[in-house]
Amino acid sequence: MSFTAQELKKLALPLLLLVALLGAGAGLILWTQSEQQATARQLAAARAERSQARERLTRIAEEEKEVNDKVAVYRRLKSLHILGEEQRLEWADAMTRIRTTRELLDLRYLVERQRLLSTFAGKPAGVDFFASTMKVDIALLHEGDLLGFLRELRESGNAYYSIKRCAISRTGTAPTGTSIVPRLRAECEIDLITIIDRAAKT
Amino acid sequence: MSAKLVLYFTATEHALYRWAGGALELESKFGADDEGLQAFRAHLQGRQGALVYVLADLAGEDFHEDQIPYLRGSDRQAVVQRRLAQRYRDTRLTAALPLGYATGERRTERLLLASFTNTEQFTAWIDALVASGARLSGVYSVPLLAPALAARLGARSGRTIIVTANSTGLRQCFVENGRLRFARLERTSEVAPEALAVFVRAETLRLVQYLSTLRALPRDGPPIQVLVVAPAAQRAALEQVLVSDARLTFRTIAVAEAARKVGIKRPTADLAGEQLFLHLAVKSPPKDQFARIEDRRSFILWKLQRAIVATGAVGILACAMFAAVQWIDLFGLKDQVSVQQREAREATQQYQRITASFPVTQTTTDNLKATVVEFTKIATQSASPEPALVYLSQVVERFPQMDIEAVVWRVGKPGADAAAAKAATAPAAPAPAAAPAAEVLQVLEVSGRVNATRRSDYRAITGQVQRFAEALRTDPAWRILRTQLPFDVTSEGTLSGDIGAAEGTEAPRFSITVGRELK
Repeated sequence: MSFTAQELKKLALPLLLLVALLGAGAGLILWTQSEQQATARQLAAARAERSQARERLTRIAEEEKEVNDKVAVYRRLKSLHILGEEQRLEWADAMTRIRTTRELLDLRYLVERQRLLSTFAGKPAGVDFFASTMKVDIALLHEGDLLGFLRELRESGNAYYSIKRCAISRTGTAPTGTSIVPRLRAECEIDLITIIDRAAKT
Repeated sequence: MSAKLVLYFTATEHALYRWAGGALELESKFGADDEGLQAFRAHLQGRQGALVYVLADLAGEDFHEDQIPYLRGSDRQAVVQRRLAQRYRDTRLTAALPLGYATGERRTERLLLASFTNTEQFTAWIDALVASGARLSGVYSVPLLAPALAARLGARSGRTIIVTANSTGLRQCFVENGRLRFARLERTSEVAPEALAVFVRAETLRLVQYLSTLRALPRDGPPIQVLVVAPAAQRAALEQVLVSDARLTFRTIAVAEAARKVGIKRPTADLAGEQLFLHLAVKSPPKDQFARIEDRRSFILWKLQRAIVATGAVGILACAMFAAVQWIDLFGLKDQVSVQQREAREATQQYQRITASFPVTQTTTDNLKATVVEFTKIATQSASPEPALVYLSQVVERFPQMDIEAVVWRVGKPGADAAAAKAATAPAAPAPAAAPAAEVLQVLEVSGRVNATRRSDYRAITGQVQRFAEALRTDPAWRILRTQLPFDVTSEGTLSGDIGAAEGTEAPRFSITVGRELK
């Protein structure tokens, strides 16, 4: 039995309905499947979170000891103002003070712009380490001047001073007898490291 | 929902019933003449889309058993149509009822060809139906519905003769194993009600004799069951007269009981036998019927539309069930998520309660640890030049002939030093101890001159520089990374000298690089 065009037209609406119903059914399945997948992802995340929380709980005694050990260092960093914003004015004051107290003949310095130190794996988002490289050029009468300068710089605080390089060379200037002439020249590169802890209470 | 109409077609008049509320209601009666036809046409106006069943109850119905080769599909259809055309002059109302297969030399199919001796009496009525826009479900005859009635009355297998007292006469249908084999209609208008029982017995015996003659019944065999659907008034008389014997087993069923078995909701005691067949025509119409496809086009199209929509409904139902199963799984998963989240929350709260008793840290525990750990790492990779310079001073004091010109102290990897060594063009001795590539060292590079020794005394100068270098290793933590002697004494280098009268006065230069690991 073959259908005429008019008869086929009468089948169009049921066929459309069929397609719509099957489409709705398929949509329903796809929707439930997507919901299932989303819930499966939630479950995986919840399992991981639970496992992490349980693990942290089991390590709490160890953690307490660790906190006790580290809190002294943390407080020391805070008291030295290594923790906190850069204190550039304090640094400048320290340099002036050291030059004066040590009677250095010539002291020039240049502090470069601050840069973020590369982060390490597992670091909390709220802690960042920054460094500003300071280039120092000092005229010395003898090596002791450099050692004294570095010692006083460290003691001045306001940053952790990580010395990267120091080059000492002779100036080649002969003493005149009338004035004090520097015999040595030192060029140092020092990283001034500060730490920003955004969770820290002031 | 389409209205359902049943046209009971007899030789004298035609009754139109309407299916409503699970029961048939007589809607109208039409004479079997032109006037009746006109009235029928008028009655059908405005009944487009109605589903119409035609049930013929006529005496002139022919049954002929035939056999065709075992075929399938269009081949079988073609052979069946040819056989029907050979048997009947007018094939507009014909049917070929399958009776099963016969196995002999060749496998063949047995068919019961059926039609009406006078099909013309239908033609105008069917045309009127088709023209009205009603959907012709099929043209059935009372015998075609007899197997369904037999089944409802409990005769599903074996040989059974169903006898009903219709308004058209006494209807006898022979059914074998659920399939119609033969039927006849005998007028009862001249038979007095009290003589009906005798008439039934006599006609049944005649039918059995006829079927035996046709070899449709074996000469010797088990008794044939005769089911007599009896009107209430005649039941007692029928039971008295219809005595079973070796050939026939009579069973009388009250028409009301039969009606109940057929599914008629409110049967009356004086129900005519055709009501059973009319009801069955609507409730369970048989697959086989007499009308052509051409006359049933709108019905087939309607069935197809319904089938398509039903498929969609079944499809969405199946999808919904599948989705429901998935949804149940989803609830299980969500429960698990809740349990995991609750346990994580509890563990976190417990952790926070315990950590609350920790020393005041002014920050979070994680930040505290990270700050101190990372700071310690930076501190261990840092060093101060003072110890190295003090160490150098101590060594230099033992070598007054060594004039130190420059000292470079730095923290870094020895790779940088090696690269510098490659770039150097001056003669250089190989590094006595190469440091591992990734190691961070504090490196001390000492350069100076050798005084108080003649420039031409290569051995003495080289020996003094080597002794000075050895002295820098007094502390075993320091190791020599590179030594640049005033003269290249290696086989790879070029050795040159100036021993003439004009010997140079400039002291020979040397350079020694030592390094130690950061602590």
